[in-house]
Amino acid sequence: MASLGANTIAILIALGSFPVSLALTRFFMYWNSAHEIIGIDVHKLDRPKVPEMVGVAVPITLVLFAAIYAITEGASAIPLLAYSLVVGLAALVGAVDDRLKLGGIFKPLLTLLCGLPILIIGLMFPGQIYNSTLHVPLFGGYHLPVIYPLTILVAVSVTSNTVNMLDPLNGSMAGGISIVAGGLLVGSLLIGAGSMPIFLYASLLFSLLGFLYYNRFPARAFAGNVGQLSIGASIGALAILGKTEIASIVAIFPNIQNSFFFLSRIRRFTEHRELTSKPTKLLPDGKLADSEDPRAPLTLVRTLLIGRPATENEIVSTIWMLFLTSTSLAVITLLLTGVIL
Amino acid sequence: MNKRAVGYELVVFVTQWGLMLIGFGILTKFVAPLNFLNPNLSLGLYFDAAAKGLIALILSVTWLFIWDRQVRIYFHRRGK
Repeated sequence: MASLGANTIAILIALGSFPVSLALTRFFMYWNSAHEIIGIDVHKLDRPKVPEMVGVAVPITLVLFAAIYAITEGASAIPLLAYSLVVGLAALVGAVDDRLKLGGIFKPLLTLLCGLPILIIGLMFPGQIYNSTLHVPLFGGYHLPVIYPLTILVAVSVTSNTVNMLDPLNGSMAGGISIVAGGLLVGSLLIGAGSMPIFLYASLLFSLLGFLYYNRFPARAFAGNVGQLSIGASIGALAILGKTEIASIVAIFPNIQNSFFFLSRIRRFTEHRELTSKPTKLLPDGKLADSEDPRAPLTLVRTLLIGRPATENEIVSTIWMLFLTSTSLAVITLLLTGVIL
Repeated sequence: MNKRAVGYELVVFVTQWGLMLIGFGILTKFVAPLNFLNPNLSLGLYFDAAAKGLIALILSVTWLFIWDRQVRIYFHRRGK
């Protein structure tokens, strides 16, 4: 009962991140518009101008609520500090990329550094941040004293960049990662995880829902790299802090497929804006279609459009359905983690 | 919603999920208990970890290759 109480309080505190994220998103929409920080929605016939970098509302909310949780609940501040630093650093890398347009290779390299707070603070306070034993569904687990700390850096870089790559349409990233965070929150509750990862998953879910309100079709706000990288880094950091490593990989299957096929065709790290061959094209009726360009990457959206043009709304619904599928598998993975054959 | 694409991706995801669990099972049951080098040797622990990491990497690449083939089969069938 004590655990249930702590979890309920954690979720109730996290609920507050919804109105805060909503208000911050609205504030940055106006502020960024006023300062000419705008992008063009290229998947609409009238190509509307939309405020960019508004996703900064999400990392600000996440860090703010991590601090509130540490103060109000007296929770151990060390893992919350590590989490906040990871999210903050990824947001900083994203903001620099948004303003200076870094080359394709710099983002993965810089985001490798974003996992350092978990690694360094974890080495300073052994056992408080991460545990080097990987729990495997159905097969028990094994201790990885050398490899596990190194994979922390890779994990944060991979999750942040893969989330960054699957945000081509209105609400696709915010909605998809909301489903992932919601599913992993439910899974963590079902397996009786600690109240801190439950709070952090709930906080991520409600922050994303606040942003999604303005980012959904037709979008009035774009996340920008600042939002995408920090949200991805948050998923990576939570996988380690919440011991949901394998389930998190399963939950982001749609992101993994999209990134893998993008990289396997292009064979280098590059920005979407630098691509000469586009995977999709806008038809005169406003629908999106496969570009049929053999040099263009086989992105997830392109896979969904093969032989069947669709509206932006339809494609986003399909992407959300894929996230629902992968997240369901992730919840099953979490439930199986305690089962040994 | 493109039900056919969702259905196909569902098959791909479930296949990859199953393969992933089997891969982690192989690592847990067969690779992790092995001692490639005596951990008492200088840097023995690190070389042992590197060898096991390499096996994990090979399994990961195989896993991605199978994913690649599945999606490409769908892409070429639907594209024609």
